[in-house]
Amino acid sequence: MKQLTKKSPYGIMIAIAILVVLCVIPAFGSTYALSILTLIFIYMTMGQMWNLMGGYAGLLSLGMQAFIGIGGYCLAVFSVNYGVNIYLAILMGAVFSVLFGLAVSPALFKMTGVYFAIGSWVVAEALLIAFSNWKFVRYAQGIGISTVYQLSGTQVYYTALALGVVAVLVVLCLMRSKTGLALMAIRDNTGAAEVMGVPIYKTKIKCYMIACFFMGLAGGVMYMVQGYIVPSAGFSIQWTVAMTFMVIIGGSGTMEGPIIGAVLYVLLTQYLYNFPGWSMILLGAIAVVVILIAPRGVMGTLHEKTGFEILSSRRNLY
Amino acid sequence: MLQCLIQGILLGGLYAIIGIGMSMVFGIMGLTNLAHGDLMILGTYITMLLVTSYNVPILLAVLIAVIVMAVIGFLMQNFLVNRVLDKGAEPALLVTFGVSIFLSNVILKIFSADYKSIPNSLASTNVVSTASFSISGIYLFSFIVGLVVIVALSYIMQKTNFGRSIRATSSDTMAAELMGVNTKRAYSYAMIIAMVTAAIAGALVGSTFTFNPASGTSYLIIAFGVVVIGGMGSLPGTLLGGVVLGVAQLLGGYFFGSGVQMLIAYIVLLVILAIRPNGLLASAARK
Repeated sequence: MKQLTKKSPYGIMIAIAILVVLCVIPAFGSTYALSILTLIFIYMTMGQMWNLMGGYAGLLSLGMQAFIGIGGYCLAVFSVNYGVNIYLAILMGAVFSVLFGLAVSPALFKMTGVYFAIGSWVVAEALLIAFSNWKFVRYAQGIGISTVYQLSGTQVYYTALALGVVAVLVVLCLMRSKTGLALMAIRDNTGAAEVMGVPIYKTKIKCYMIACFFMGLAGGVMYMVQGYIVPSAGFSIQWTVAMTFMVIIGGSGTMEGPIIGAVLYVLLTQYLYNFPGWSMILLGAIAVVVILIAPRGVMGTLHEKTGFEILSSRRNLY
Repeated sequence: MLQCLIQGILLGGLYAIIGIGMSMVFGIMGLTNLAHGDLMILGTYITMLLVTSYNVPILLAVLIAVIVMAVIGFLMQNFLVNRVLDKGAEPALLVTFGVSIFLSNVILKIFSADYKSIPNSLASTNVVSTASFSISGIYLFSFIVGLVVIVALSYIMQKTNFGRSIRATSSDTMAAELMGVNTKRAYSYAMIIAMVTAAIAGALVGSTFTFNPASGTSYLIIAFGVVVIGGMGSLPGTLLGGVVLGVAQLLGGYFFGSGVQMLIAYIVLLVILAIRPNGLLASAARK
């Protein structure tokens, strides 16, 4: 324990150094490198939020793609149809995600465990069908987000970087706050936490709302990159597959896990881009193998063996 | 309207047999098998491949698919699921999720994304044809097969030693072990049975509807719906769940158009889940 706490100042310094490097990269990095990093930041945000729910709060959700789709569609509809500023449209997407999350939460939060996981998935599938049959969003044809075409790669890069950094900071602060303690208490033993006076429903809802907000943002920024949205892609289970695998491979319940997971995920999918289909097959196999031999993921295993961590959500004991 | 009701009930039988394997696996080892839909579709593709490419008679093809799926179920349970089952529900759930992604993409790689079907004579024949309604041969056949499988499984679980050992494992793993039951073995048998039903369900689905590699996902949700409406682990409940979902889907299609029929079924499922989070027959299942 002592060893861990002594390392934390270096951790902060390393984190700041990485951040500075990331801020100046657009000055000399290639367009391709920038686009890769942009994707990494967006996936990292999704991973962090999935980790906040699944890794810390014990809310294993298979339906977070609902909010990616909502975020993407809000960007498309508001900026294309109504001429709203792109960044405002993305923010509105996040607000709509929270509102939708609030609307379904009374039903969803009656379920626990597996029921919650698949219940939230059914919600996302229902949205997929609803959007495919909705004239306002041009049915399954989708919407071309023409407003984002004039954005430069650097602009998108900084947006994604800001999103990723804010997401990491929010989760970090949340985990170091009283809410973080409450969350871990709930995850480890719901009954005991309730007896000790932890407001379970309120804590979980809070966590869910934060995740909804950032998923909506991530969806908006993701479709800023992609430029065209159709229901079958926006509400695809693939988003959840990506989030889940990033967190599993990186290490669930750690701050760095989703970051490492996002880097590995994006690099793997890019590397296997020329072999269509193989990246998902490989990802499925890797995830199964990781759960079998290193259930705590890259970061969890590394931490166990060497005590290495940069962004600790733990408190100092000494 | 009447047509929709009858067809919905018959479709419920098909849905029940899709869900029954998942229900059993959950009831016995507390595992939600997220790969169930994809495993079922794998069964469909095996049957289709044998029938269309090798001209195997359809019943023999189904039998071969059943055997192959049983072997796959055994291997999956023995080498993957059994190893993480002790670590809680979440790792096991995620393992099956990984298997699901792996399988659906392997199927996609081999068979391409085109919609396919299993050619058969029942699909186009109507057994009953009146002015107000008609009953399609394949729907009736699926319903009967569903009923037979549920009754047979209930009999096996209640009356045979094999069934008793599985039930003992599910109600108290340690006590069952002390009584000399090999619980991991019991889990493997349960998974084999589940995969046998999945292979049968797959052949029926493939004969009734067209399918593609992504169909596994939608059938997983149907299986899940069937299982939660009926109550996880309750065999008669799966039939009830199947019928509720089938009728909701077809009536929804009747009133709101076929594009949104699944949406109606999903909403019914969510409402039932919100009111009875553990399913309609859950208390019976908990025994």
